[in-house]
Amino acid sequence: MFRNYKWFLGSLLLLVNLSAQVKLSVKTIPKKVNIMLDGINIGKSPIINDRINPGVHKFEIIKSGFAPITYDILVNPSQAVHLDFFMNPIYQVKFKTQEKGLVFELNGEHLWDDPFIRLDLEAGDHFLRVFKLNEIIDEQTIHVDEPKKFNYYLKKPVSEE
Amino acid sequence: MLKQTFNWFLYIGGILTLIMFMSGCSLLKGPLYPDVIYNNRQPLISVTYEYGEIEIKLPLNYIGVVPEIISFEVYAHGDTANPIISILQEAPRVFFVYLPQGVLDIHNKSNIIKIIPQDTNFRPVNVRFKGIRFGRIVLPPKSIQMGQLIVNGKVFLNKDETPLGGVDVSIQNFDNVIKETTTNDSGFYQLSVPGEYKYAQHLRLVAGNNMIFKPFKQKLDFSKTLKMRYNIGMGPNKAMEDPIYLTNRESVHFREQPDIGSETLFLLGAGEAISVTRVTPGEYYGSIEIEVGSKKMVQLDGWVNRTDVFLLDLNNVFKKESGNVSEL
Repeated sequence: MFRNYKWFLGSLLLLVNLSAQVKLSVKTIPKKVNIMLDGINIGKSPIINDRINPGVHKFEIIKSGFAPITYDILVNPSQAVHLDFFMNPIYQVKFKTQEKGLVFELNGEHLWDDPFIRLDLEAGDHFLRVFKLNEIIDEQTIHVDEPKKFNYYLKKPVSEE
Repeated sequence: MLKQTFNWFLYIGGILTLIMFMSGCSLLKGPLYPDVIYNNRQPLISVTYEYGEIEIKLPLNYIGVVPEIISFEVYAHGDTANPIISILQEAPRVFFVYLPQGVLDIHNKSNIIKIIPQDTNFRPVNVRFKGIRFGRIVLPPKSIQMGQLIVNGKVFLNKDETPLGGVDVSIQNFDNVIKETTTNDSGFYQLSVPGEYKYAQHLRLVAGNNMIFKPFKQKLDFSKTLKMRYNIGMGPNKAMEDPIYLTNRESVHFREQPDIGSETLFLLGAGEAISVTRVTPGEYYGSIEIEVGSKKMVQLDGWVNRTDVFLLDLNNVFKKESGNVSEL
């Protein structure tokens, strides 16, 4: 009898919980990406007809070759919430210069002094700073939208091949 | 010689291939920067909410008359000052209203639909209900009817204005008793009938069926009001002097002269009062009161048979159980 009572109570709580939940669908570009919701893998995209409780949640989307996405959302009480994530690709870029004794810095944190190097860059704009003998001699923004090769010439805009 | 040269090239090529394989082609491609360089660009994310709708269905039953226009007001969370929505429409058989998701109290029955017929003869009706987040609510049918028609007042003795308790009072439509009651010790009565009788043509108030006097009958016209007050005086008026006799049956001849064959002035009903002034062995001579319009009473003299009347005793004005006046 006690067991039945517990079962009934459990079912009731489950029912109440389900009725309060919001229908969830998650789509990503590219497809077939693992979706982590509050640290739990809820499957690969596209996800349809899943359920989520109203409130604050964290989505983490990681796929090789794309910039990872971490997204905090406050889910409103509603019938359904549809999320679309467009992942930013990472392109391999070759960076080459004929100049001697230069040090390059990208986005204020990544440094190198090789005259020829391969870089994995997130698509979009990156800020390039050039040093010579610890002095800034050039600053430029480079735009990455595909795998490409950059040639750097001192105080000239970076040229693409 | 040619074969030796070919072997030499093959040997050199093999060594170069091995070097390239071991160095990961970095000699040709250059070294790879160890980290992925992000530009912290905001990812493109689209969030779309789908909000449900609440459909409320409320069937309405109209008892008797149907009001022309009804105002519906929907309130939530017990707030009766600010309606979520107000709708004025012709009286529907089923009231439908659509509300946005999340506006109703889903925990308590604190949501209210006020049904306000735009007719003063109807009273507003409230429907309380528990809400849902979204979806359809079908409420139980609600009846709409006119307000009750009420008539009240006091019943007293005309002779000395003493309140009369225990007097039967009823409302009749044609001869059908719709509602009946008995006056309390103070002579007070109150009767109510459904509003559907508002425009009934043959509605009347009847009092004193259990008394020895002629019953009081008054046509009721509720067409302009829902409540009326009638104070009912029973029995002979103050103006009639003692001794007073009452007729003990229907169709008692009230004649101009005492002799047989004399002209009958009136046929009196049971319980009508005669103020007797002269007596003969077989007849009484006296006066009766007659209403001549505008409730003006005049007295008229005439004769009645002694066997058709009995002496009024104001201490005993109720009929006996059998209801026969002559048994008094």
